[in-house]
Amino acid sequence: MSGVLLFAGVDVGSATTKAVLVDVEGRVVAHTVIPSGGKLAAAATVVLERVLGEARVTMENVAALVSTGYGRESVSGRTKAVTEITCHARGAHTLNPAVRSVIDIGGQDSKAIALDERGGVRRFEMNDKCAAGTGRFLEVMARTLQVGLDEIGPLALSAESPARISSTCTVFAESEVISLLAQDESIPSILAGLCTAIAQRVNSLAARVGMMPEVMMTGGVAKNVGVVRGLEQAVGLPLITPEEPQIVGALGAALIARDLGARRQDATA
Amino acid sequence: MSSETRSPLDVFEAVCSDFYAAAREAAAHGRKIAGFLCSYAPQELAHAAGYMPVRVLGRPGGTPRADELIQPFACSFARSSFDSALADELDFLDLVVFSHTCDTMQNVADLWRRKKPEHNALIVSLPTHTQGTAARAYFRAELQRVRERIEALAGAIDDETLRSSIGLYQRHRNAMNRLYAVRREHPDHLNGRQVLSAVVSSLLMPKEEHLPLLETLVAHVETTPAGDDTGETPVPRVFVAGSVCQNMGFIAAIEEAGCAVVDDDLCMGSRQFCMEYADAADPLDALAEMYLSRRPCPAFHAPGFDPGRHLVEKARTARADGVVFLLTKFCDPWFFDYPHVNQALEDAGIPTLLVEVEQHLPVPEQFRTRIQAFFEMLAAR
Repeated sequence: MSGVLLFAGVDVGSATTKAVLVDVEGRVVAHTVIPSGGKLAAAATVVLERVLGEARVTMENVAALVSTGYGRESVSGRTKAVTEITCHARGAHTLNPAVRSVIDIGGQDSKAIALDERGGVRRFEMNDKCAAGTGRFLEVMARTLQVGLDEIGPLALSAESPARISSTCTVFAESEVISLLAQDESIPSILAGLCTAIAQRVNSLAARVGMMPEVMMTGGVAKNVGVVRGLEQAVGLPLITPEEPQIVGALGAALIARDLGARRQDATA
Repeated sequence: MSSETRSPLDVFEAVCSDFYAAAREAAAHGRKIAGFLCSYAPQELAHAAGYMPVRVLGRPGGTPRADELIQPFACSFARSSFDSALADELDFLDLVVFSHTCDTMQNVADLWRRKKPEHNALIVSLPTHTQGTAARAYFRAELQRVRERIEALAGAIDDETLRSSIGLYQRHRNAMNRLYAVRREHPDHLNGRQVLSAVVSSLLMPKEEHLPLLETLVAHVETTPAGDDTGETPVPRVFVAGSVCQNMGFIAAIEEAGCAVVDDDLCMGSRQFCMEYADAADPLDALAEMYLSRRPCPAFHAPGFDPGRHLVEKARTARADGVVFLLTKFCDPWFFDYPHVNQALEDAGIPTLLVEVEQHLPVPEQFRTRIQAFFEMLAAR
């Protein structure tokens, strides 16, 4: 694949680091997701090596690289760092141009974004209180209940009725879960209750931005069908979940890199 | 180093790096110091009585002593100010003046009085409705009471001295308004951080020392020729609104993200300078008129004053591309105003961003992310 011109997007999140390569047409050539671990710069290097390996190219082929996410400033070799808000909007718009709202739930934060018809950001909100309403909340609960992260969604959907979880704080919700276990509440209804709690929490964020159809959900938590159904109920609109919800930010970053690369070529031409 | 060899901005920044150094030094030279916790507390009366008025701002760091006495939903400004008093860091104070803006400040004043009787805490009760003859008469009487309390501590204040103190403060406000006008036109000459350091230092230094420095700075920036238009992408112009703001880090982060801060509606900002002294036979009448006809802060109401329309007009005058609300967490007067004010800006097509901040903690990483995203949003429009 020597001589081929590609553009890279690297999204360094608190839980996972993602990389996407696109070609001059904006088509996805390769993508990779790895755990972030403690060293963000190292995670960025590894994810980039992997995605380049997958596409069987080298950095020589990468005309521009845009980094995003919580560790965006620790990515070496970046052409530019762009916030995850702008990148998620761009990625979601490209996957489906009818999208006017994005709900992203990542490992450490959640955000709601209103888009214009060009995929630009009109308005956005981010959670600012604590881990409630994020992937971390689900990770803590999965550990407490000794359930795999992937099992939460299907188990929650199998519940007859959700248990009531009133706490919005991760630590207090955990002790509520322990009391529910002591009262012999079934694991599926506790999980359903947790999915409802997180959905309501994120919906208050979404309501401040104002959700217009189509609504896309991105981020790792979009893989959890329990939370997706809970959010659909809370928002009152169906949610589009992309095939790979985790890479939407990195995809947006790669597409922005493509814009930058094109501009640079214009400048040198 | 003496202040003559340093530029005014250097002096201002140095003063901001150690809030109470000027007050401690003045106290060591025998000057009486009066602390103020609000822009509505009439500093002119203390100044005329020979005090050096200084704004109490709290300071960076934790507040363990205050946390023992006040509930967690009191704002960081009240908490930090009170904590520094409890830690004996404000022992240079001979007088401390509050005004009744919100329940938190009223109750902190009461606690302060008990814990620090030597500070002679005094609370000025303003009418919550600031318009009308009854409000005017009431506040005139309240100013008379405050004057008598100060006189009982420091001796008689004669009307001539009071007029001259009022005049000094007005001259300072005029210079500050000129500084703001330059910044609106040339944010490339004078950035938001520099203007904030001019504002905050003016609250911490003797006014008679700050004024000549400020006037020198204003004369300099007013005559600096405008830069050439290099044809570069224009920088998004941001207007900042909120309550207290003495943490330079927030303004610096907005500018580091690529925006220019062009104007503000902040307590430590334009709301300090939005008063006009009209000469009156009686100086207390003049003070009452001046304080009650200023732009009311969110803790007060003036029939006919619409804070939403006001902010839209201010943002338009400043040709702002967006408004950032820098609201101190748990500042309920501001948070009750916010939905209405924000709607007015949205209706006017002015994008906004709300960030809740703790004044006494370092700027959080998420603050930078939001500001950068807001910058990207404005730059793409």
